[in-house]
Amino acid sequence: MSRDEIKDVLLEIIADIDEEADFASLDADAPLRDQLDLDSMDFLDIVMELRKRYKLQIPEEEYPQLATLTSCVNYLVPKLQQA
Amino acid sequence: MAAYQLLIIGGGLSGIAAGIRAARFGLKTLILEQHNLPGGLNSYYLRQGRLLETGLHAMTNFAPPGAKKAPLNRLFRQLHLSRRQFEAHEQLGSEVRFAGRTLRFTNDIAMLEEAIACEFPEAIDQFRRLRLTIAAYDPFAAVPWRSARRFLAEHLRHPLLADMLLLPLMIYGNAEEHDMDLGQFVIMFRAIFEEGLFRPGGTMREFLDLLVQRFRDFGGELRYRCPVASIETDGGRVQGVRLESGEELTADAVLSTVGIPETMRLSGWEGDCARYAGRMSFMETISFIPRASAPSFAPRRTIVFYHNAPRLDYQRPDDYLDPSWGVICFPDNFSGLVPEDTVQVRVTNAASYPLWQGLAAEIYGPVKERWTQAAIAASEEIVGNYRPSIVYQDSFTPVTIERFTRKAQGAVYGSGIKIRDGATPWSNLFIAGTDQGYLGIVGAMLSGITIVNQHILR
Repeated sequence: MSRDEIKDVLLEIIADIDEEADFASLDADAPLRDQLDLDSMDFLDIVMELRKRYKLQIPEEEYPQLATLTSCVNYLVPKLQQA
Repeated sequence: MAAYQLLIIGGGLSGIAAGIRAARFGLKTLILEQHNLPGGLNSYYLRQGRLLETGLHAMTNFAPPGAKKAPLNRLFRQLHLSRRQFEAHEQLGSEVRFAGRTLRFTNDIAMLEEAIACEFPEAIDQFRRLRLTIAAYDPFAAVPWRSARRFLAEHLRHPLLADMLLLPLMIYGNAEEHDMDLGQFVIMFRAIFEEGLFRPGGTMREFLDLLVQRFRDFGGELRYRCPVASIETDGGRVQGVRLESGEELTADAVLSTVGIPETMRLSGWEGDCARYAGRMSFMETISFIPRASAPSFAPRRTIVFYHNAPRLDYQRPDDYLDPSWGVICFPDNFSGLVPEDTVQVRVTNAASYPLWQGLAAEIYGPVKERWTQAAIAASEEIVGNYRPSIVYQDSFTPVTIERFTRKAQGAVYGSGIKIRDGATPWSNLFIAGTDQGYLGIVGAMLSGITIVNQHILR
């Protein structure tokens, strides 16, 4: 998947998790949790959804790499190359 | 390979919520419910064309859509339910009537502050400081049991007001007698006074249908009339369960929501079962009255928590029932409900399980009738007479609760000792629901979610 495709998938997953999510003023380089008011339970859902869709195992110690939209994309690009 | 990745014993709110989480992320999940309806402690039954709810007076933790950090809305997100499409009817107002004094509260805690300023002006400053202390307290930190009574004695120095605040919080979620864990007190204070009471649109049936449908939409399976006979173990692990029908089902993990004592019995878990049997159970007395002849009692009150004696006595009574304190609920008095032809009055009083359990079958009925009348009479002292208008009446006792929910001794709040992390002697058997420790409808669902998140999805 391309960077843009991965970004779209992420936004789609977040929108599906949170009906209040508002991406209009989202800064791709600022922490997602603060901007979207997500808590650790929501965050787990993003990880779980990626696992379900792409059989992707993300170890807990790598969660910090999913902090911003850009860092998520950077992290996922090599993992979703074949997807 | 096991037949299921997760088997859940009990189709109550914690079990269904746990099931939704597991099924949502692709786990092959089966819920086993002994009864022919879902809901467990918060279910319903049908009599003469009427739907009677069990357990539900009101849901706690009211929050408007959009308040993202509120427990209710986090719950909806976790279950992948739309909060925007969910109809929540807020309470009109409730009151605590204690030895002749009254405190009224709504979902706006400023009303409670005002009531306290009026009724107990000497304590209002302390109450305001108490609220700040409660707001700063982390009730989920793993700390040893602390006495809520001692905390209130230190912060409020007003025994009557402390008891009046404790009454609804204990009735809505305290498994222990006499005192309450401080963490649990803080959870309940926020759930009832800071956030508030509401009920879903429709009845418990529609709410349960919504949850079960969501579970099934995610591919989950639910089987009714499937009582579990035993949890099969082998060394340090659970292999699955055997049903009373003899059928055996294997699973990678089992989640039990039937309480610690019943889980011990099913699994052969060694330990002192009696230690985990909760002592608080209740009898529920439900009356239907035509709206036209509904008297003017308790106008626009949703719930009246009453206590006749001057000191709070939260314990299993020495007699079958203790009508000197309890809850009177008017389920029709929530905002925005379409008026029904009949209105309900529900009275809940502490009851003694051993006494009810010891009754011979032929006198159970007459004894229940006698105490039903005692409960109605006690509530009439508080809200006015309604007995002559009753068109339909039904009651259930701790024995009924035990039979339908498997909660040992009909203890609706379960054991006084909780297992917060849900762990058992088996590495793949977990406890959720009442004996994990989050209580009430919202609490039960959060319990199922939390345990699945912690132990199954990781």
